[in-house]
Formats: sequence, structure tokens, C-alpha cells
Amino acid sequence: MGKLAKALAGTMLLHLTVAEADETVKSRFTLNGFGTLGVVYSDEEQADFVSNTFAPDGAGYTRTWSPEVDSRLGLQLTASLTPRLTGILQLIAEQRYDENYTPSVEWANLKYDITPDLSVRVGRMVQSSLMVSEYRKVGYATPWVRPPDEVYSLVPVTNFDGIDLSFRSHFDGFTNTLQGAYGRKDASLPDGGTAEVRDVVTLTDTLEWGNATLFASYGRTRLSIDAKNINALFEGYRQFGPEGEAIADRYDVDDKRYEVVAVGTRYDPGDWFVMGELAHSNSQTFIGDSRGWYVTGGYRFGAITPFVTLARVRVDSSTSDPGLSLGGLPPSLAARAGGLNAALNGLLGSVAQQKSVTLGARWDFARNAALKVQYDRLDLDNGSPGVLSNTQPGFEPGGRVDLFSVTLDFVF
Amino acid sequence: MTAIGWGLLLGLMLGTASAEVVVVVSSENPVQSLSHAELADIYLGRMHNFPNGESVVPVDQRENSPTHHEFYSRYLGRTPALIKAHWSKLIFSGRGRPPRTVTDDKAVAEFVAGNHHAIGYLTPELVDKRLRVVPIE
Repeated sequence: MGKLAKALAGTMLLHLTVAEADETVKSRFTLNGFGTLGVVYSDEEQADFVSNTFAPDGAGYTRTWSPEVDSRLGLQLTASLTPRLTGILQLIAEQRYDENYTPSVEWANLKYDITPDLSVRVGRMVQSSLMVSEYRKVGYATPWVRPPDEVYSLVPVTNFDGIDLSFRSHFDGFTNTLQGAYGRKDASLPDGGTAEVRDVVTLTDTLEWGNATLFASYGRTRLSIDAKNINALFEGYRQFGPEGEAIADRYDVDDKRYEVVAVGTRYDPGDWFVMGELAHSNSQTFIGDSRGWYVTGGYRFGAITPFVTLARVRVDSSTSDPGLSLGGLPPSLAARAGGLNAALNGLLGSVAQQKSVTLGARWDFARNAALKVQYDRLDLDNGSPGVLSNTQPGFEPGGRVDLFSVTLDFVF
Repeated sequence: MTAIGWGLLLGLMLGTASAEVVVVVSSENPVQSLSHAELADIYLGRMHNFPNGESVVPVDQRENSPTHHEFYSRYLGRTPALIKAHWSKLIFSGRGRPPRTVTDDKAVAEFVAGNHHAIGYLTPELVDKRLRVVPIE
């Protein structure tokens, strides 16, 4: 420890002297922004296509054409406090769980560069579990209208509060970036509930070599969901003795471990690109274990980039459970137990299972802006609502849903 | 149409590049050559040192300049829009900031001549004895 402290102090002293010699310190404050203006159409009138699990509504049932799913505005203030110390504040206005567009603090952190290749951050910062997580809200930085839901819905949270370390190394033309993070996160759900994410541990590694990128990550958290209908369901089960308690313990979301493992790759020589990602989530809860993947490829004809995406998400764990045995229960209790079993199976069956084909094009028509059009054909698995939410009594699970989106993405 | 516009159009019709661009360092900088990959790593913010370990300060030209366009398409195989998307990823994830931008070829020459950590690109006509062209292999 003494050695490390000395080495750190030495490095910092060295940087101070370099800093004094560096007469070309950039301006102290930089303001950057990004945004998307978009509409998405869905032909499913009995359910909503939403931006993420925290959104109260979207396209389809609530509005045939929704501007709320993809539109957002982000502002970022970067303060170079010293050549090694940077402060970042990022505010984002977008559809929130409460149907309000009040800007939220997406990040507020301090970053210290111990060396140009080793940095530590403290505060609220970006969550990096998946290959595109770090800029998933910046439409301009991605080929699609939105990252494929089959993979990105497995990690709906985009930031956390805590600390992270990033270490970059170079060897033989390879650049490797290893990141480790620890923290916590609270999120509000549209129905008034909350999700508490504790002991967030994320490890990611990105290996770049020329035009090729390889990505791998492991994330683990302890997840608790506090929502009225879910609480009522498991409290109901717990009144049925050991059998009910066992069911509640198996499926409730109370300080349960939630893990996500992902691998991804990208090859982008400039004229064309391909990328793909595979993610697996698991938890001993009603959310179950999901496996999602996508493959995307595109070709750049000057300013126009047509692309195609294939994606799939399915559940590895069981999507139904026999629940409480009704035999031997008095009729009133049997009816109640039957109701609980139906509710539990409703939850288990509502986990997303679908495949999709996406065709789209991006047009870089101006220096800071791109126009995108995208057609998605979702093919929902039998019995599953796929990634749709806000399902209405008239909704029939399974089948095909067509989405059509147009967005204008810009940065400044 | 402006003279530049006609020049670009002519260049496109003849199938030739609009401008010659060379990569330069200060004549006091010992770096003799760089690979395409090293140059790309430096200009995409992945590498902060020359291969010999000395720190590197890349300097960029304005996005709408023909020199910028030519440099990125010839040496990195990327359009200005792709470069912009690349930096959007790094800026909005808090992972990096693009190289400083100066106004024109002349400003690049002055900047690189005055800083032996610097690397820049410009039209070969402006290379003087304070600068050295770095072959990109």
C-alpha cells in the first residue's frame, strides 16, 4: 500500500509539472448536446410499443403514431478542472415513468486520470453492461433508430451511482480497455412501484484491433421490486403455509441476485459494417432467465447507409408453474389459490419472447444530423406479448406486429 | 457555384482526390514513420503516445474543409459523418474528447512546428524546414 501511494503521489507530481508546461490547456467548460425527434407507428391496437420498461405508454394502443418512444434531448456540460480532473453533468429530457418530461440527471461525476490510460470516476455515471450501452441514448452514434430490444431490454437501466475504474493497455496494435464498476441505483416504475438495484458489480472488457472490436461483460446486482400488485401476489401466497411460501420465495423479487453476461463483436472497415451481440440474464424470480441476440449489417453508399437486423429473445426458464395444489382446499380458499396461480402464470407468461427483422436506412444529410427510417416486423412467440407492454384485455399474445419509425438525430 | 465547388466537381469527374494531404510532426520529433493503424489509433483517441512512448498531441482541421475530408478518407477510410459518430460515442459516454481543431493548413503548420509532441496533417506545399513529413505505411 505504501508503495502504491508513493507511486500515485509520484505520478501526480509528474503530471502537475507536465500540466504547468502544457500551455495549450483547452477551454475549461464545454457544452455538448444530442437529441432525437422521432415518431413510431405500431399496427397493434391492443398494446403499446414502449422505449423501455419504465415508460408508461407508447405506440399502438395509446397512440397509433407516438412521438414519445424515441424523442429525447440531452445536454452535457464538461468542466476541465485540471488537466487530469474532469467534471461531467449530463441532463436528459425524455418520457419518464410518470409521463413527465422534466429533465433528469443522467450523469454527474468527477473523473480523475491517474495516467492517460488509467482513470477513476465517482458519482452518477453511465452503465456499460452491453456493447452499445454507453451511448444507447445518442441516436446519432448508432446505425439504428434504437438498439435492438431483444438484447437491450435485458438491461433497462442506463446509469448508476458509485465508482468505476477504467484501464487501457496497448500491445501489438491491440487496444484493450478493462472496466470495473460498483454502485447502486433506484428507479421508479410507471404503476407507482420502485426498483432498487444494490451491489451493482459490472466488469467489461473491450478489445479493439484496427477495424475489429470484441466485447465481453459480466454484471451482477441485488434486485428488489416494490410494486403493489406484485407485493399482493406474493403476500397472498405466503398465507398458504410452507407450499405458498416456497412459491413466493422462488418467484418474488426481494433482494434477489440478477446476473447478465454479454459478448459482442463489431467489424467496421468504413464502407460497411457488421455487428452482433448475445446476452443472457438470469435470476431466481418471475423475470426468469432470458437469452437475446441480434446481428446487424449495413453498407455505406456515400451518405446513405441501409441496414438490416435480425434479432431474437427467448426465455430459458419455465413460463408457467402449477402453483398451489387446489385439491383438499375448502372452496373459498381454492378459488383464492386459483386466482393467485392465474396471476403468477400471467406474470411468467408476459416475459418477452419474440424474433424480429428490421430494415432501415440512415441518411447523413447534414454535418451534425442524420435522418433514419426503419421498418420492424416483430414475430411474437405463441402466448407471449413480446416486448410490448400496456396490454389491454382485447390483446391476443403471439402473432405479428409491424412498426414503422422515422427519426431525426442530431449532435452539437 | 464557387471556385471550390467547381474544383471538387472536376476532381470527382476525373476520379482524382481533391487535395494532397501529408502527415507531419515537428522536425525535432524523432518519429520516422507510423503505420495506418497507429495513425488511426492516435486520431480516434485510442492511443495517447507515439510508438516510442512520447506523448502525442494530435491536431485536427475543420470538419467542412477539403483537407479534413481527404485526410480521413485516405488514411482512416472514414467519412466525416463516421468520425463525428465516433466522437459522439466517446463524448457522450465521458470517455474522451476529440483532438483540438485549428482553422487551416497554416495554423496546423504553426502548431506542429511549435510543439514537438504534436502531429497534424496539411497540404504538402506548406511543409517547411520546421516540419517533417511522416510516411504512413
